[in-house]
Amino acid sequence: MRSNRKRESLRFGNVAKSLITCLAISAIGVGYVWQKNQIYRLGDEIKKRETTLSATEKRNTMLAAQLAQLKSPVYLEARCQQANLGLAAPKETQTIRLLEPGPEWDARFLPAVQPAAAQKTVKPARPATKVVASR
Amino acid sequence: MIKLTHRHRALMVVTGLSLAFTALACRLVDLQIFRHAALSREAASNREQVIHRQGRRGEIRDCNGNMLANSQSVRIIAADPSITTSNAPAIARQLAPWLKMDEASLTTRLTGSGKYVRLKLKVDEDTVTQIKALKIKGLVFEDQFLRTYPNGPLASHVIGFVDNDHKGVQGIEAGLDKYLTGVAGYEVIERDRKGREIRANRDEEIGPRDGYNVVLTVDQVIQHIAEVELEKAMEEFHPQAGVIIVSRPKTGEILAMSSRPTFDPNNPGGFSADARRNRCVSDVAEPGSTFKIVVCSGALNDGLVTLADRFDCEHGAWSFAGRILHDSHPYGVLSVEEILFHSSNIGAAKIGVTKLGAARLYDYIRAYGFGHKTGIDLPGEVSGIAHPLAKWNPLSISRIPMGHEIAATPLQMMMAMNAIANGGHLMKPVIVKSVVDENNTTVAKFQSQEVRQPITLRASILMATALRRVASPEGTAPKAAVKGYDVAGKTGTAEKIENGQYVKKYYSSFIGYLPAADPEISILVSLDNPVGGAYYGGSVAGPVFRGVAEKVTQYLAIPPQFADPDEKKVAKL
Repeated sequence: MRSNRKRESLRFGNVAKSLITCLAISAIGVGYVWQKNQIYRLGDEIKKRETTLSATEKRNTMLAAQLAQLKSPVYLEARCQQANLGLAAPKETQTIRLLEPGPEWDARFLPAVQPAAAQKTVKPARPATKVVASR
Repeated sequence: MIKLTHRHRALMVVTGLSLAFTALACRLVDLQIFRHAALSREAASNREQVIHRQGRRGEIRDCNGNMLANSQSVRIIAADPSITTSNAPAIARQLAPWLKMDEASLTTRLTGSGKYVRLKLKVDEDTVTQIKALKIKGLVFEDQFLRTYPNGPLASHVIGFVDNDHKGVQGIEAGLDKYLTGVAGYEVIERDRKGREIRANRDEEIGPRDGYNVVLTVDQVIQHIAEVELEKAMEEFHPQAGVIIVSRPKTGEILAMSSRPTFDPNNPGGFSADARRNRCVSDVAEPGSTFKIVVCSGALNDGLVTLADRFDCEHGAWSFAGRILHDSHPYGVLSVEEILFHSSNIGAAKIGVTKLGAARLYDYIRAYGFGHKTGIDLPGEVSGIAHPLAKWNPLSISRIPMGHEIAATPLQMMMAMNAIANGGHLMKPVIVKSVVDENNTTVAKFQSQEVRQPITLRASILMATALRRVASPEGTAPKAAVKGYDVAGKTGTAEKIENGQYVKKYYSSFIGYLPAADPEISILVSLDNPVGGAYYGGSVAGPVFRGVAEKVTQYLAIPPQFADPDEKKVAKL
């Protein structure tokens, strides 16, 4: 009986199997805990970012309102008067209006341009006359 | 004595353990099965919390995207007196400078047996950060939205304001409340023993949706021009009230709408209801001579008269139906064109009586939209008074052509003049351009819309020919002339009615458009009871019209039709 026990206790395979099983269970346990911990840490990170985002958005709306106030004609006029810059809207005589290309531009400027354009369009005919001359 | 063998002892241990485990199992079954629902509810209530988050109210912007109203996040600072009572004076000393409150009142609030007391509303985020740094126990910070209007009173009657629950009360805030209001969301969260949220255990989360942004057709620069000119007129003529409307005749878009007295929407409670009323849409008055455009355009449209047809204006006094009708100046025989630019009451009445007739005049009154709401997206609009034909008395046909016995809002008059300016099309006034979301994607578009065509293009051109002479030296409003531009318009001076009687108080108005041949803008100026001598529309409202028109044409870069001779001289020098 005793010799049998001795023989069994010496079986390395069984010990190894037990050890591996224990280690695997431990690893799974530690892994689970580690993962849970990571999830909570990530949750905390998300929460911090959410708080920062919310604060930034709030600040953004506040700054947008400030910007609107600073851009308002009422404020700008008051600032101009305070600074005594002498700024005023330009008068009609101080304004030069440039026509954009279009029917109105064509009607006004195209007749003057046409003769030159016409000369240029004649040029491509020259090679033909040259060819005739070479014969 | 029974000698216990190891078997007996083992049996006793096993029995004991079995009983213990059975008891535990019974307890578990009781807790987990029979009392499961109640206990899980109790556990959840200890651990979980539902947090409701309100969506931010949308912005109101002008046609160029400039912000006219927005909602800012602010905080409510509250305290738990059960925690703060023991140290109330010290906490009050720390908080007083930040909350701008006196220490004594703060100490009173911080002391008591309650669990919640509000210390201050509408505290900005920066102040909250400073207070949090003090690390005072027992303080609670709650979120709140604050509606702000960065331009103060600018366009206040158009924008309106909100109540304490962030619900629109007046103006666009009320009219487009359904678009501006955000949708609330909620989160089911778990807290740890320190009260911090365990983010990883958040169960449900439905985020709030911010309200849509409303883009108006109003231009804040033109609005400012209108407000400044109206303010100047208020200082010069001291009227009880005044309005200016600037619009685009071809589309019916409102570029500016200003009323006096006015108010600051940041503090609407500090102003009377009278100051908060948008007189452009909610006040009616007899339009006076500006209404002559209806009878004259109607008669021209039906081909009953031409501009050259002549009427005897009876040298200033004409008896009709037993009553004498007067002109402000005595005129002899005038053509239809002269009747318009001299603004002869007798002439207009004779066109109505002898040519157009009551039935057709009434048809034109309805066709121009009088007696109906224009349908602008502003609450509080009234339809005016246009009595049905059956209720007209024998005098009505002579009085209505000169703008008596009828009442219209300034906006209705503006739209009628726009119909003449744009070739005969009565447009629905548009004040909202579009509704967009936070990414500027259009949610709803408000396009200009023709209501009907009361007169033909030909009749509108004939009217413009006559109305151009109103702002000429021979017309009733030479002061409305704008250098370099061809102005068409009509003056109005209507006596006010008090207690059913005409009194020596006047509504002075001028409605005009320019350039007359191809109108870009139309402007209405109306002053209620100007004092200090001048009261004729041409002398009171005319110069205000010119002031607005000069600046608006410059701002919109509307090219002039002819060079200004005075400016040329300066240029030559």
